[in-house]
Amino acid sequence: MKTIKQIIAASTVALTSALSVLPAHATLGSCSEAIVLGTTISETGPFSTLADRWRKMTEVFAEEFNKGGGVLVKSCNKKLPIKFVIYDDQSVPATAVALFEKMATVDKVDFFVGPDWSSLGGPVPPVAEKHKIPMVMANVATPSVYDRGLKYIWGTPFPVVPNWSARYFEMIGKVSPKPQTIFFITHDNPVMKGITATWSKKAEEQGLKVLGNETFSPELKDFTALIAKVRAAKADIIYLSSYDNASVPLVQQMRQLKVRAMDVHHTMLTGALHRQVGKDIEGMTGELSWYPGVKGDYSDLVETVMKRADVSMFDYIWTLGRLTSYLTMIQAIEKAGVVDREKVKEALFKATVKSPAGDVTFDERGFPNTGAFTVQMNGGKVNVVWPPEVATGKLVWPSPTWK
Amino acid sequence: MEVLLQVLIGGVLLGGLYALVAFGLSLIYGVVRILNFAHGTLLAVSGVLASLAYASWQLHPLLIAVLLAPLLFVCAYGYYQVLLRPLSKRNHFESTVGTVLVTVGTLMILSDLTAKAAGATQRNIPLRLEALEFGEIVISTTQLLILLGIALLTVVMHLILTCTWFGRAVRAVTQDPVGAQICGVQSTRMKALTFAFGSATVAVAAVLYVLSFPVDPYMGFGLTVKAFTIIVVGGVGNLPGALLAGIFLGVAEGLTGLYWKPEWAPALSVVLMLLILVAFPKGVGVKA
Repeated sequence: MKTIKQIIAASTVALTSALSVLPAHATLGSCSEAIVLGTTISETGPFSTLADRWRKMTEVFAEEFNKGGGVLVKSCNKKLPIKFVIYDDQSVPATAVALFEKMATVDKVDFFVGPDWSSLGGPVPPVAEKHKIPMVMANVATPSVYDRGLKYIWGTPFPVVPNWSARYFEMIGKVSPKPQTIFFITHDNPVMKGITATWSKKAEEQGLKVLGNETFSPELKDFTALIAKVRAAKADIIYLSSYDNASVPLVQQMRQLKVRAMDVHHTMLTGALHRQVGKDIEGMTGELSWYPGVKGDYSDLVETVMKRADVSMFDYIWTLGRLTSYLTMIQAIEKAGVVDREKVKEALFKATVKSPAGDVTFDERGFPNTGAFTVQMNGGKVNVVWPPEVATGKLVWPSPTWK
Repeated sequence: MEVLLQVLIGGVLLGGLYALVAFGLSLIYGVVRILNFAHGTLLAVSGVLASLAYASWQLHPLLIAVLLAPLLFVCAYGYYQVLLRPLSKRNHFESTVGTVLVTVGTLMILSDLTAKAAGATQRNIPLRLEALEFGEIVISTTQLLILLGIALLTVVMHLILTCTWFGRAVRAVTQDPVGAQICGVQSTRMKALTFAFGSATVAVAAVLYVLSFPVDPYMGFGLTVKAFTIIVVGGVGNLPGALLAGIFLGVAEGLTGLYWKPEWAPALSVVLMLLILVAFPKGVGVKA
């Protein structure tokens, strides 16, 4: 009896051990197994408010995409389904690095998609480079991340820093009365500083006089001094380059202290900001990468996925960047015609891929050319106001709430 | 000139709020001799609770403060008796290290639990009253009322400490615990009551704070550091001193933002505390 028990126990241990070392996918180049994409999502930690519904969204994406059979792989002369391996990176760079290393060596995924945020986009790519696994990062918008000569890295942030406010500045060049001056207020963060550096230069090139540029720490709660400077400057446009959460007290105090301008522009006009400051957000302009209703490649798929996963574009403004990273990898595999890392890498090099917001073209660094629409909060709703051909609402200029 | 006046007004308000946070901490340290690292977090958590109560049931902020204060009093009393009092029976080293570990652990647990339950985003009570305008100077009526609340609370606390038996006992234990014990003051009970009273003042401070500034579960430690600075400048157990020190810190932060850079303002309290401790190792305030 004892011997039988020992045999059963030994068999169980052996079976468990064998299963635990089995990769999540079959062999690369296989025509019978699913293509496995490995990713991390910031489900917990400081960035979780931006991404906590993305696990479900990613699973729904795989389901919906596989309904059509999956990715067409020419060398197999058939479509292969996709499958995701997903981990929570906890918004921590070191955790993300460890998890991508695990996906490369233990899960043995075929390709990487994600992660998000420039703070993770800095340390994670060397893992992909070391294992020679093509990686299409999602919301990593800082150009310097792509300037390191890495060969296996691409990114699909919407928008990228050099294009962030392109449509907004195009718009203010055409409105009447025309603004003459601008004041920049910048959250002390590399991405936001990059946006200010780019757009303060372009503002000057456009003939706008830059009256000031003040940087604030995310810990700052009392903005009286900063707002006093802004009020004294009497700028036509106040440009807030900030993450939504950090700017909550600033927006509230600007209202309390009756700041006046033709327009207050926020680089992250989000549902989270709206929920926190309420009607103080009324009349402000901002950027939005895409919204359901704008027709483009894969827009029906993306709309269905977002609806099923209960993800609103205004609440989760980085969703398009995330989904486009999946779409980009899928298109690259189709273009390569084989589940082969080197071939997919070649397919991604300087590629142009389709997205619901239009074509995305990568430069030789893997950096894309993505942009965003200009939106305005009117009557508690967010409307796309520029460019006019895709507008869902009329621009109110100058903003009546900041008079 | 208008800009400077505007900044000074903002600085006084902010400093008053800092002083309110420091009152409780100062009392607790004066009597119980515990540096409660979770004090600022208690304010942050109370602020989140106040904001939720306002958003869910539209309760008047004053009523929220009246409900929160006894709740914190009871919780803090129990917390002291269960977790901190046993440490006082250990030797000095173990007691000191133990209280630091317990209060820092509390800080982390409170922050994470609140973030899990209510989210990590900022919350406040968006009470908007029409602002007063004097030329280029704008004074928020809400802020004026908060300032009035701070002044009233300072007077009430001062009266409690000077005119009641509890206050006299608190001051007696602060000045000479052994002498107080000989005179019939049960110092162990007084310590628990003072810890609870100091924590209950945080409820009122939290409601006043969220009327003006947003709070989030993780902002508490920064406030505790500011409160330490105020105690160092204003003196342990010295409420008028704490109020003046708080206003000094608030105005200094405002002027830093005006004449230098706003991003340096939050770090100012640490720099000031270090400078003061180097120049005056025993603090500059007078003990009550």
